[in-house]
Amino acid sequence: MSQDNDKEIKGHDYDGITEYDNPLPVWWVAGFIGTVIFAFIYFLHYQIADGPTLKQDLKVALAEIEKVKAAQPADILSEDELGVVFNDQKNIALGGQVYAGKCAVCHGNDLQGVIGPNLVDQYWIHTKGTKVGMVHTVAEGVAEKGMPPWKDLLKGTEILAVTAFIYSKKGSNPVNPKAPQGDKIETY
Amino acid sequence: MENRTAQIQNITYDDGIVKKFMLATIVWAGVAFTVGLLIALQLAYWKFNFNLEWLTFGRLRPLHTNAAIFAFAGNAIFAGIYHSTQRLCKTRLFSDALSNIHFWGWQLIIVAAAITLPLGLSQAKEYAELEWPIDIMITLVWVVFAVNFFGTLARRREKHLYVALWFYIATIITVALLHIVNSIEIPVAFMQSYPVWAGIQDALVQWWYGHNAVAFFLTTPFLGLMYYYVPKVVNRPVYSYRLSIIHFWALIFIYIWAGPHHLLYTSLPDWAQNLGMVFSIMLWAPSWGGMINGLLTLRGVWHLVRTEPIVKFFVGALTFYGMVTFEGPLLSIKSISSVGHYTDWIIGHVHSGTLGWNGFLIFGIFYYLVPKLWKTELYSKKLANQHFWIGLTGVLFYYISMVTAGITQGLMWRAIDPKGQLVYPDFIETVTRIIPLYWVRALGGSLYIVGYILFVYNIVKTIKSAPASQSDTVVEYAAPAKSEQITSPEQGHRKLEGMATVFSILAFIAVLVGSLIEIYPTLSLQKYLNPEQMTEPYTALQLAGRDIYTKEGCYLCHSQMIRQLPDDVLRYGPASTIEESMYDHPFQWGSKRTGPDLARVGKKYPNLWHFRHMLNPRDITPNSIMPNYYWLAENNTDFFILRKKVSVMKMLGVPYNDNMLANADRLAEDEAKIIAEDLEKQGAPKGLERKEIVALIAYLQSLGQKAKVAAPVAPQK
Repeated sequence: MSQDNDKEIKGHDYDGITEYDNPLPVWWVAGFIGTVIFAFIYFLHYQIADGPTLKQDLKVALAEIEKVKAAQPADILSEDELGVVFNDQKNIALGGQVYAGKCAVCHGNDLQGVIGPNLVDQYWIHTKGTKVGMVHTVAEGVAEKGMPPWKDLLKGTEILAVTAFIYSKKGSNPVNPKAPQGDKIETY
Repeated sequence: MENRTAQIQNITYDDGIVKKFMLATIVWAGVAFTVGLLIALQLAYWKFNFNLEWLTFGRLRPLHTNAAIFAFAGNAIFAGIYHSTQRLCKTRLFSDALSNIHFWGWQLIIVAAAITLPLGLSQAKEYAELEWPIDIMITLVWVVFAVNFFGTLARRREKHLYVALWFYIATIITVALLHIVNSIEIPVAFMQSYPVWAGIQDALVQWWYGHNAVAFFLTTPFLGLMYYYVPKVVNRPVYSYRLSIIHFWALIFIYIWAGPHHLLYTSLPDWAQNLGMVFSIMLWAPSWGGMINGLLTLRGVWHLVRTEPIVKFFVGALTFYGMVTFEGPLLSIKSISSVGHYTDWIIGHVHSGTLGWNGFLIFGIFYYLVPKLWKTELYSKKLANQHFWIGLTGVLFYYISMVTAGITQGLMWRAIDPKGQLVYPDFIETVTRIIPLYWVRALGGSLYIVGYILFVYNIVKTIKSAPASQSDTVVEYAAPAKSEQITSPEQGHRKLEGMATVFSILAFIAVLVGSLIEIYPTLSLQKYLNPEQMTEPYTALQLAGRDIYTKEGCYLCHSQMIRQLPDDVLRYGPASTIEESMYDHPFQWGSKRTGPDLARVGKKYPNLWHFRHMLNPRDITPNSIMPNYYWLAENNTDFFILRKKVSVMKMLGVPYNDNMLANADRLAEDEAKIIAEDLEKQGAPKGLERKEIVALIAYLQSLGQKAKVAAPVAPQK
């Protein structure tokens, strides 16, 4: 690239601008050829030589995740075991925080019901008023009613805690309660 | 020798038109930058939306991009092309009348854009938002420009075309092709239309256009300007003529293929994605050819970088060009795209291009041209130097903050814990994390504007110091005597440089090849559709809601494309299919996720959730940065036009039946009543059935719910 070798090309003069006859930089040519070779190999691999499609790659990745999830034991607690968990003040306190952050938007700050139903009265749509049923509804959601599943958004302990919090508010008298929905459960 | 005196001619260049375009550039730059800063602030703090529908991010973002590309860069290109082409052809422009029609026509288009975009009159296709009457104006003005330019070439006194002119030729031809093909649309009203393209077709055409707007509006014309002004200012020969030839043809041939790199992992067929990726990678060297030729032209005069602000701007521009054209191919690699796509990394990338490369080159050229054309001295070199350093700091703040934000958010989205669950399942968490960086970005933009204010002050002072009587530049031109002309027959490229028409045709063929190969196969969309997974067309009310979605520019912050990536599937549901967007004129896949993807938001939340969320998103998501859309509950939906809309959709191939064609408005009213009643029952106010919000809710609830058969890949059992 020494300037002494620069040669202006005869006859190339455009409004006073002239041009040198320098060769293409070798590294530049090599880079260009390299990317072209890469392009060919890459394209042939995926289009001709049966390289995996995006769909296949995704399927493998999702299967991997499913395997991990399936390997975790699903510990479903009984009604009595949940009774113990629900009595724990620490759980109720944690549940209150979770409730304020995630649930209050639809069920109201005082659980009185806004978009979603009232959670302090004796009327239940899906759970029959059982602790197991409540935990299940929080975890799995009710797609057709717009209740989202929380099992991917909350940890297992948080789901138990927030249900404990709801249970602890049983029978409280919030202002402006939403009208009852579902069946009256006398035992709740 | 004796007849030389007889051959001396006086040429009067048209400097007036150049000055006009320069002043327009300076004015519109202010608009583009200011609107850019405002929408940057809106992302940092939502109240900067001012609770006014005309000032929301969704309405103003298209104004910002259109102003930056077509008003700021566009006017600068026209100024530079008209100035340099006259001198390179040694002739006055073809027609003063055409020059002026071009100028005023273009300004009229920009004013029309500045009025219609905040009003929400938009086609919802990025950088092509302008509605059909303006699209026609753009076409006409571009033809005027082309006639004026090629007419000038035809009258040239220099036989050979200089490399700058090659780039101008490629620009004018390709932009015409891109604009026309991407804007084929059927009007439904004075300021509303549907594109003929749908789904993957529209995605491919749109990003063929969108990417090449970058290529042939922000790259090739600027390389042309660089080839004229850099050697001119430093008075050095261009480093390598051979490099010019190779990188020019490689660049225009390869660039046109690269569009699908905006669509990696989407439902676009794999072959198109693979082509987009490999052509983007091959683009690296041809792009750098321009940078090498620019920077090495400065050999021997590097000391000027220290003293001359113009040279500082040129070196800065070329360096940013080199960075951006390295980063572009990098981002096109699938695995890197899977992190960067939909994030602010892309925003940082394009701004180092427009602010660093285009902006700095324009400032450099203007600091050179203003004193020259107004026949005076630059008011202050010191101010120009300060402009450079403040502007550079601004771009760096902007770029670094956005790349950091993008990578941070991209990594948060994809984080999956050992139990197979998303680490950050709440989208809003990934937004609040990067808010501080939005403030840094706004600071960077502000610094760039401070530099711009110094620039304006300097230019105004310079022009004020100019002599009162201004006249066009006159040069004497002596045709080379016969004996001086090269007698040996020319060969190869040199011969081609003497044939403007053949050269232009070859350039056209170069850009046509990639365009045809990529777009042609998807013209028959049917062969990509699985007959067992076809979707239902939108109902009339959903269609009305969809038009509100496009009007408000929702696609600028929300994607509707669940990519074929595990984290996307875990977060949003099964990957989007080709069939799901088959009736989408235009497609609404989006390019940025400031908010979450909406492809499967339908039926996820109750109607009342959407109602409350649209009125004040913070009632639902406390840290949301989305604007309030209370006017949707006040404005009425236009039911009457639905029959027309449905009939246009039918014409475009959407299978609506006769009942729908005849009764679209009444069917929509019935559907609206049901939603309004549900809302009322849940506690919303009475009488919403004619309001826009009900139509929008109908549309949102349909997203992801239209497939007749569930998509094959499901995340959970």
